[in-house]
Amino acid sequence: MLKLENINKRFGSFRLSEINMQIGEGEYYILLGRSGAGKTLLLELIAGLSIPDSGKVWLDKEDITVKRIQDRNIGLVFQDYAIFPNMTVYGNIAYPLVARRMSRDMIRSRVKIAASEMNIGHLLERDTVNLSGGEMQRVALARTLVTEPRLLLLDEPMASVDASLRDDIRLVLRHLNRKGHTMIHVTHDYREAIHLASKAGVIHNGKIIQEGTPADVFRRPVNRFVARYAGIRNFFRVTVLNQEGKWKAVCDNKLVFSLSENTRPGEGIIIIRNEDVRLSRVKPEGNHDNCFMGTVTDIIPSVYGMEVMVDAGEKFCVDIRQEEFDYLGLREMADVWITFPARAAVMLTDNDN
Amino acid sequence: MIRYSPFNWILLLLSSLVLLFILAPLAGLFLHTSAPEFFETAADREVQQSIWLTLWVSFAASLFSAIGAVPLAWLMARKNFPMKKIVQGIIDLPIVLPHTAAGIAVLGFISREGALGRAADTIGLNLVNNPSGIAIAMAFVSLPFFINSARDGFTAVPERLEKAALNLGAGRARVFFTISVPLAKQSIMTGFIMMFARGMSEFGAVVIVAYHPMIAPVLIFERFSSYGLQYSRPASVLFILVALLVLVLLRVLPGRKKMTQRTGDAEA
Repeated sequence: MLKLENINKRFGSFRLSEINMQIGEGEYYILLGRSGAGKTLLLELIAGLSIPDSGKVWLDKEDITVKRIQDRNIGLVFQDYAIFPNMTVYGNIAYPLVARRMSRDMIRSRVKIAASEMNIGHLLERDTVNLSGGEMQRVALARTLVTEPRLLLLDEPMASVDASLRDDIRLVLRHLNRKGHTMIHVTHDYREAIHLASKAGVIHNGKIIQEGTPADVFRRPVNRFVARYAGIRNFFRVTVLNQEGKWKAVCDNKLVFSLSENTRPGEGIIIIRNEDVRLSRVKPEGNHDNCFMGTVTDIIPSVYGMEVMVDAGEKFCVDIRQEEFDYLGLREMADVWITFPARAAVMLTDNDN
Repeated sequence: MIRYSPFNWILLLLSSLVLLFILAPLAGLFLHTSAPEFFETAADREVQQSIWLTLWVSFAASLFSAIGAVPLAWLMARKNFPMKKIVQGIIDLPIVLPHTAAGIAVLGFISREGALGRAADTIGLNLVNNPSGIAIAMAFVSLPFFINSARDGFTAVPERLEKAALNLGAGRARVFFTISVPLAKQSIMTGFIMMFARGMSEFGAVVIVAYHPMIAPVLIFERFSSYGLQYSRPASVLFILVALLVLVLLRVLPGRKKMTQRTGDAEA
């Protein structure tokens, strides 16, 4: 449906380089990246607000690289919604239809349908200056959807909405995608990708460094940057070797991890997801691939419970639920045992980043 | 509230001196004008005609200038182009020129030897000693005030609102008239008023292109040079009062209209 081919664009000292992307009909693509990574610029290139220095943008097999913005029929919802303050909610939603010279009756009926779909029918006569973030978000969505865009682009749609309203917006977005809208959503929050995306990409310094299903991207991050994005905090520089048929990873300070068989020798970085590491106060019974004794160095409250830092020769970060934390009676300087299965230690494939 | 520290006392004193400096001559002007003199001057047809001429010519000059000044202001706010600073310098040039020199330049342009004068002459219009010539002289010296104020207004309009409108399918012209201009309206209006006020008070440039018909500042000068200070005072007071009244009206009227304007914008 949408295809970006070797897109390059220089913008001041920043540049997007060799961007290739393909999005199928009905897909929900989430592009993850820090601020300044080039996410918004990429959306502007797709929408036609900027023209690439080189490369091509294809929409339904038509080359739209230099097509006029007005003729692309690609809807873009801006991060701060770009609601026109000189018009009412009705005026905002009607704006694209007036520009298309539709009849007054047609405009009225389409505005009403779009407004009721977004649950803002009661706001139509209101001035936009007093709307809440969530209401503005819905007005911006209604205003874009009323044009029946071929592709919907969302620039950080959750960024300016209160945390309490994010679930509502997420539902709205999921509903739109289920209705068949093809969507590209850029964000810096990996949780949005997990909740919504059918396909995810990570952009860093103007390059897309990984693409795939959210499960692929977060289970098998290609590099440290993507891994950090997925909330992973356990990184270890290691040398992998095969000892008597078993794969081992030797950390810089000689701690040795057992790895699953699916690996290769050499130097690199190993990641372990915080939630794959288990904590106990006494040495766990039975056979464990990896079991180390350590000391709690820090305890930080998190959304789901606690983040416990353990020094076991290498620094580990472990996520545990509040009940488990209370049960273990953890405190700083307490001795603990940490265990994790060999399959939890994943070797990054792209060590340069 | 201002706290009364020695520094604030000094600030207050200096500020008061500046205000006094502006108000004292005006107060003197008003106090030295008796009511009978004032009403007699107000009833003088020559004075009435010259004030009316000043007002409408300056208003018309500002209105016509808006056709080119507003788009130029938008360009200056939005676009980067080679020699933009030079263009800005050209826009500001009339502010720094001596106004009589500006008048000489305009006269050269609109007299029969000048390009515009010759063009006007072909349709039988002599711009010298004519309201059109006065309007051109007023516009020449006061245009920068309009352009710069409108430019600041356009700069303050978030560019992404224009981008959003384009993305919604509006053409460039529609975006300009429905988003950029309405959102910069306050500054455009302020610029218009500043240009109008500046044009109205212009003497140096106008007196060179048209002694007659007499605009108010020329009439005041003529009364002063022919009859002296006492005789020129009532006309000055009258012109100041009329100008103030018009400016207050221009400030108040658009604000009142705004209240009723909003809901209909995009329904039209």
